[in-house]
Amino acid sequence: MISPIDRRTVLKWGGGMLGASALMPRLAFGQQTSINYWHTFTSQSEFAGLEAVMAQFASAHPDINVIQENIPNPEFMAKITAAVVGGGRPDVTMVASERFADLRAMGALVDLTDRIASWERRGDFEDARFASITSEDGAVYGVPAFAFVDWMYYRKDWFDEAGLSAPTTLDEMLVAAQTLTDPAKGRYGFGMRGGAGGQAFVVNLMEAFGSPVLSNGEIGLDRDRAIEAVRWYAGLLTEHGVVPPSAPNDGFRQIMEAFQTGQTAMVWHHTGSFRDISGFLEPGVEFATAPIPAGPAARVARLGYAYNAMSSDANADAAWEWIKFWGEPDAAVALLEATGYFPASTVAAQDERISGNPLYAPAAETLGFGLPQPSFPGFAGWSESVVLPAFQRVLIGDATPEQAVDEMIDGLAAAVG
Amino acid sequence: MMAQATRSRSKLFWDVASYALLLLLAFICIAPIVWTFLTSIKFEADIVTREMHYIPPRVTFENYVRLWNQSSYPVLVLNSLVVTSVTVLICLFTGTIASYAFSRFQFRGRTELMLGYLVVRMFPAVLMIIPLFIVMRQVGLLDSTIGLAIAYTSFLLPLFVWMLKGFFDAAPKELESAARIDGTTRLGAMFRIVIPIARNGLLATCVFVAIAAWNEFLFALMLTTSQGSRTWPVGLQLMVGEFQLPWGMLAAGGMISILPVVVLFAIVQRAMVAGITAGAVKG
Amino acid sequence: MSRTFLPAPYGPPRTVWDRINPVRLIGELSETRYWMYLLLLPSALLITAVVLYPTLYGMQMSFREMRLNRPDLGTGFVGLRHYERMLSDPVFWVSLRNTAVWVTFSIVIEFVVGLIAALALNRNLPGTKVLAVLILLPYFLPNVVAGHMWALMLDPRLGVINDLLVRIGLLEGYKAWFADPGTAMAAAIVVEAWHSFPFFTLLLLAGLKGIPTDLYKAADIDGAGPFAQLRLITLPMLRTIIAAAVILRVIGLVNSPDLLLILTSGGPGRSTQVLSLYAFQTAYRDFNFGYAGALSVVMFVFLMVFAWAYIRITKVNQE
Repeated sequence: MISPIDRRTVLKWGGGMLGASALMPRLAFGQQTSINYWHTFTSQSEFAGLEAVMAQFASAHPDINVIQENIPNPEFMAKITAAVVGGGRPDVTMVASERFADLRAMGALVDLTDRIASWERRGDFEDARFASITSEDGAVYGVPAFAFVDWMYYRKDWFDEAGLSAPTTLDEMLVAAQTLTDPAKGRYGFGMRGGAGGQAFVVNLMEAFGSPVLSNGEIGLDRDRAIEAVRWYAGLLTEHGVVPPSAPNDGFRQIMEAFQTGQTAMVWHHTGSFRDISGFLEPGVEFATAPIPAGPAARVARLGYAYNAMSSDANADAAWEWIKFWGEPDAAVALLEATGYFPASTVAAQDERISGNPLYAPAAETLGFGLPQPSFPGFAGWSESVVLPAFQRVLIGDATPEQAVDEMIDGLAAAVG
Repeated sequence: MMAQATRSRSKLFWDVASYALLLLLAFICIAPIVWTFLTSIKFEADIVTREMHYIPPRVTFENYVRLWNQSSYPVLVLNSLVVTSVTVLICLFTGTIASYAFSRFQFRGRTELMLGYLVVRMFPAVLMIIPLFIVMRQVGLLDSTIGLAIAYTSFLLPLFVWMLKGFFDAAPKELESAARIDGTTRLGAMFRIVIPIARNGLLATCVFVAIAAWNEFLFALMLTTSQGSRTWPVGLQLMVGEFQLPWGMLAAGGMISILPVVVLFAIVQRAMVAGITAGAVKG
Repeated sequence: MSRTFLPAPYGPPRTVWDRINPVRLIGELSETRYWMYLLLLPSALLITAVVLYPTLYGMQMSFREMRLNRPDLGTGFVGLRHYERMLSDPVFWVSLRNTAVWVTFSIVIEFVVGLIAALALNRNLPGTKVLAVLILLPYFLPNVVAGHMWALMLDPRLGVINDLLVRIGLLEGYKAWFADPGTAMAAAIVVEAWHSFPFFTLLLLAGLKGIPTDLYKAADIDGAGPFAQLRLITLPMLRTIIAAAVILRVIGLVNSPDLLLILTSGGPGRSTQVLSLYAFQTAYRDFNFGYAGALSVVMFVFLMVFAWAYIRITKVNQE
């Protein structure tokens, strides 16, 4: 389904990267425009994907020279904040959905509404794809490069052995988790992300229990339902013991390693880790994928996007060529082949390599009901600095769900007040 | 006779205790690094596994190869070397004399000035980054190794001056006084007497500044952007992907980040040992 | 130094070379009353040029509204509002307490282990030079590497330390050190101490080399035991070096969030949240530079008071 990356290409490119970027501005033939592109690609496969897109772009636009600069993801916001405040913005930057509201508020992005409206490929994308990069007054700031679709990975072999099928509701999920948990064997039903990055799932569950943080433009939490959600979710550890005791510090890496080494039966993440897991477990036999189970009030699975947006309008025309190039089906498929990242364009998503693979069906299904991230300035900071520690305090028995939710409500008031 | 026997028995006891202690400490220090090395030559599947492999069942150097190709290590290390050497040189020129002034002269405002040098290090770097970024941009030193070295120098100078002052204080003043009586200027006394006596300390201090500059991350990240001026720790952090964390590569990165420092230290260590023996006779 | 007992180092200039010879000119300058200020000038200029503006800028931010993601609030002057908020901010108080624990335990362990190692190395026993290099090695590692390495070794699933402790029977099963508020801080302090104790070893060792051996010989003859020698000779002779090292290390520990950022990000709950981490997160996660500035100013004031008191108590400024 996804061709293995050609190692030699990567090596050649990796080695040549430096020389090329150093020499190219001087070798410029004719009227070449150079634009800077900031992104958070890091792994070898991500770089292979970027290289493929860049190569396609170079042959389509020999007059534009893209200088890519990778920024470590955890430090991305600090870096771009300094560039916005102190000067030295990139022409084009990658913007993850959850970062859009803050970046736009600090004036880091250029309004692209008119360019996007007259873009010939606009029709390839459903309107919803732009939701997370549109401001409340309707201005659009970027083009989706690829999508992250939330879903669930589960141990198909264990589920089959226990006569279970993939859970569709949170209640079923708890039952399955209890059935498959066996601490003596070092096996737990669910790999909870209670450490770094885990805040997103707490927010999602509150919404699944009927307390969305943002609904119809109103920001706030329904205290009782949020408490119920926190009690249920933390209860997986404190009451039922169906998640590993390391949960309060388990980030992305830990939940993945637990799943890959057969210590957990289910784990929530998005489509981006499919390839990694396939390296450890056999897809379709040892593990399979399913949509995120539904809660009592809603089924909450997020559709996240990585957008490309303009930060400086110094080379606006060249920058726009590069931004929209990511919407070309060829570019999207090249990226998918290298990384497994889901295309955002509907046309590209209909590609045989995706639609023909049953393991991707849950992602296609989720595209139907998935929701964008809540987005308002301060949301990312609040969920990371308040929601996560408050939830962790419940996990470690330092606070009750009531106290934790009150802390979240106060923190939210301070964040948007 | 009795006293001597007791003393030699006591010496034996302390010798044995010293060996035991040093061996234990060396083990504690080196074990994690050995483990990192073992991790760096394992396949990822032998790291992320439920069985602990103390001896790698299969050996691979793939992690090093991938690291080398992916991170453009030579350029990153070269940049780090430039930044580190410039930092150490500026510190040596400006810091040594400042430290000497603090150590040898009583003057008005001395305590306040010494504290003032320390104050520089006290304001959290996190908050200074953006204004520093603006300053560096205005003078055109943003995204350059020299600019980074100047930023480092201003933060490492206090460390340098304070440490070196301790060593200058420890150098006996009698030789200096003698030289002065013989007609040497203060300048001459400083360069011909005091600095040679305190050279071990000078060396140790330089090593600290070099290590600090070599390993610094936050300023390097914020003040440089392009491949051409990035330093090694930033390059290393870039390997830690968002959705992928290859332990083997990270461990390989750790191993090769020690290498240049160890080489440097091996050179300095020789000089240090030589200096120590010579200094003991004179000092 | 009084000049009256000293002969003038140079007579009046006789040749043209005497007038332009830089060594001679600086030598003459070194006899003036301003010599020490001239020596301080280059470093003071450099520090002022680079650090003064950013520091003042950071301080004035703490009196302003500065939320980068809320341009609607403007950047007006808010007086002491951020400081008032701090008083009623539970996270601030938790972070303050954690900072105290983090700094105190780290510094004590690092100093004691560093001193013991330096004393043992200073005996110059055969073969210990190699051990010296090995003992100094941890300090050479960047924080990024040290942090990730220990995260792997203490990992609740892949950690070799867990495996060893289970094998020798100290643990029943793998322990998630950083997920338990009772052990998270302790584990982080162990990592920090491992990484930074060589700072003290190297400095103290260099200082020990400077102590004249006659002092010990005399003490030996007087019958002073090793502990008496440590108390009466070694520690007093190392006084200024110890003071400088402690102050510098305390500043480093208070101000640098690197290691905790990698190991715990302040969790679980807020059991490893320290002030530097809180200021970092307030600035670059919440984009509230005003409040982050206020937190930094408070850290700065604490450090100033500490350094001032410490210098007074240890009298390192008098020589």
